[in-house]
Amino acid sequence: MYTKHESLIREKIRGYLDENFLYMMPNFVLDDDDRLLERGVVDSMGIVEMLTFIEDEFGVKAADDEISEANLGTLRAIVRFVASKQSIVPA
Amino acid sequence: MCGIAGIARPDPGVVALEPLGRMAAAIRHRGPDGYGFYAGSHVGFAHTRLSIVDVAGGAQPLTNEDGQIVITFNGEVYNHPELRRELEARGHQFRTRSDTEVLVHGYEEWGAQMLQRLNGQFAFAIHDARNRTVFLARDRFGVRPLFYAQIDRNLYFASEVKALFASSEVPASVDPAALDEVFTFWAARPPRTGFAGIRCLEPGTYGIWQDGALRLHRYYQLNYPETPLESKDAVEQLDDLMRTGVGLRMRADVPVGAYLSGGLDSSITSSLAAAVTPHQLRTFSITFSDPRFDESEFQLAMAGEIGSVHAIASIGQNAIADSFRDIVWHAETPLLRTAPAPMFHLAKLTKASGIKVVLTGEGADELFLGYDLFKEVSVRRFCLRRPESALRQRLFDRLYPYLFDQGRGGEFWRRFFLDAGPLSDPLFSHLPRILLTSRIKDFYSPEFAAAVANNDPLGALRAELPEQFFGWSPLNQAAYLEMTLLLSPYLLSSQGDRMAMAHGVEGRFPFLDHRLFEYAAALPTGSRLRGLKEKEILRRWARRILPSRISGRGKQPYRAPDAPSFFAPNAPAYIADMLSSDAIQRVGIWSARAVAGLVRRCRSGQAISFRENQALLGVLSTQLWHHQFIQSAPSAQTLDLSAADMVIQEGVPAAV
Repeated sequence: MYTKHESLIREKIRGYLDENFLYMMPNFVLDDDDRLLERGVVDSMGIVEMLTFIEDEFGVKAADDEISEANLGTLRAIVRFVASKQSIVPA
Repeated sequence: MCGIAGIARPDPGVVALEPLGRMAAAIRHRGPDGYGFYAGSHVGFAHTRLSIVDVAGGAQPLTNEDGQIVITFNGEVYNHPELRRELEARGHQFRTRSDTEVLVHGYEEWGAQMLQRLNGQFAFAIHDARNRTVFLARDRFGVRPLFYAQIDRNLYFASEVKALFASSEVPASVDPAALDEVFTFWAARPPRTGFAGIRCLEPGTYGIWQDGALRLHRYYQLNYPETPLESKDAVEQLDDLMRTGVGLRMRADVPVGAYLSGGLDSSITSSLAAAVTPHQLRTFSITFSDPRFDESEFQLAMAGEIGSVHAIASIGQNAIADSFRDIVWHAETPLLRTAPAPMFHLAKLTKASGIKVVLTGEGADELFLGYDLFKEVSVRRFCLRRPESALRQRLFDRLYPYLFDQGRGGEFWRRFFLDAGPLSDPLFSHLPRILLTSRIKDFYSPEFAAAVANNDPLGALRAELPEQFFGWSPLNQAAYLEMTLLLSPYLLSSQGDRMAMAHGVEGRFPFLDHRLFEYAAALPTGSRLRGLKEKEILRRWARRILPSRISGRGKQPYRAPDAPSFFAPNAPAYIADMLSSDAIQRVGIWSARAVAGLVRRCRSGQAISFRENQALLGVLSTQLWHHQFIQSAPSAQTLDLSAADMVIQEGVPAAV
């Protein structure tokens, strides 16, 4: 389950994935827990494009060691990652 | 350099000149200087000529003294003076100075064994009327093309597929499995072509056609007998091979120019050419008006260094889109890169400058392990030995610094390489590229996907690897795959022969002298790729002839503008036509829905990813290919037979 705020993040990311990657796979239905790389939704270069979108859209910055499967591997992971980054208020 | 074509029929009867005239017309661009025909009983040949050696006396087809042996020949035999002396000593009498006649007498003397003696780039057909055979042969590395089809026991062959169709006896249809190979390896794997029933003669092989059957034989097999230590005189040997390799390729009765990109390989060939040419060397390069891809500074520096008269073709964004239809017409295959486009424009500039023969640096990266792919193999192997080491994986960021700023690919980027396939897979080296290329298959229409569902291009390749392959080191396995999957079927063809011959320009490749290949293949791999330093021994030697800023310069990734050039405001109208939903559905290979999404993203400037760029090129070129070869009737244009340099007809005295 997502919080209301997380649901808004999810919609934006889902829209981005539809628009930029899923159009190439007309017969594929993405589940929130599908592993994006493994299912061929994005490739490693696509991850970098997606990261740029996330950073611009949500005003967060991912450190190099945060660019990981755990944070960006599935739609659900991305939503959690963005929400957690947003909750950290810079000092 | 020329164009050749022919028909052989098992049933008696003189082959008519009409289909031969149409076949020659289809490949006239390969030989704008003249043409000729042989119409004999059972067999007919056509030839379009680019005159380079024995300009006055080298018209073809050519026969021996009694007319029993006839040849149509495309290419060069560089050691023809030496072979001629040997043949003369054995009693053969020559009428011309041409290398073509050396092949005729060489065939009389040695038969198929002649091929082992040739140093050159060639594709030819010899008709031996004594036993009613046609002997087809192609050079060791596949520099010159040769295609054929067999229909009702008749044999049709030509330098380009379009000439087969022009005979009106060879139908054009799609081979789905071959296209699936294009979208796996960048090119169909020889002997396949994208056209059903049309094959290429594989590099290093010959065929003998008799009584309606063609039997194929291999005369040259790539081998890598790697030695553990570099010999003391390895650099001296390289010096000799490079100088004689270039020297042989400067043999011509017309001035020989050179392509000069500003990189190491073409700087070497240009520099050695400048040292031996009796003319002032002319050099040529291409650059992009977009400053991000501009290499002109290095090109001019090197030209200044060797004292050549240099010409640069600077092409703008529109040049690629404007010429892409012609490029596909000449390449005769779907393409996944725009790289043929600059080569097309470079040849155009060369021709316009009055030069029709050029040396190029092609082959050095394959022989001396210059491509990033070879470093990638080393790094992937290194990482997989300790997969938990994060430090080792940082090496990937060093490999492709121009793709990502400081590790922005992160774990995913490294994992892409590490998860591409196991070390035990014989195709290990090429799996990342194959996986990336294969992403275009997401765009297949459901019908086409179903048609190739049982196709297994990787399995077929694994099953056909030569036995020796499994005894070679991993880097030599990678080098072999690069030579056979990419060099001949793609680089030497779509970026090489086809783009140059579109403008009647002959490329010559000093690095593809088989003696140099055999030398490089026997070196320890560490002499070629030391750590992450590519072409090590070549650089060590090149310091003798080149300034250090060139000999020490790292390999520049070749980059050219892609998708945006097809969607510029004044892009040609054919692009929208070819990508319309109607056109996509008519051809049936791609999903109209997915292509519509791609076009929408391209139009809005969003489709900037590698994957989308590749998809756009693959889709557009497939549409153009299908439109020009499958949907359109072959040209009925013929050449004026009365204007031919040479017409030899059975029972009719030769008209010259």
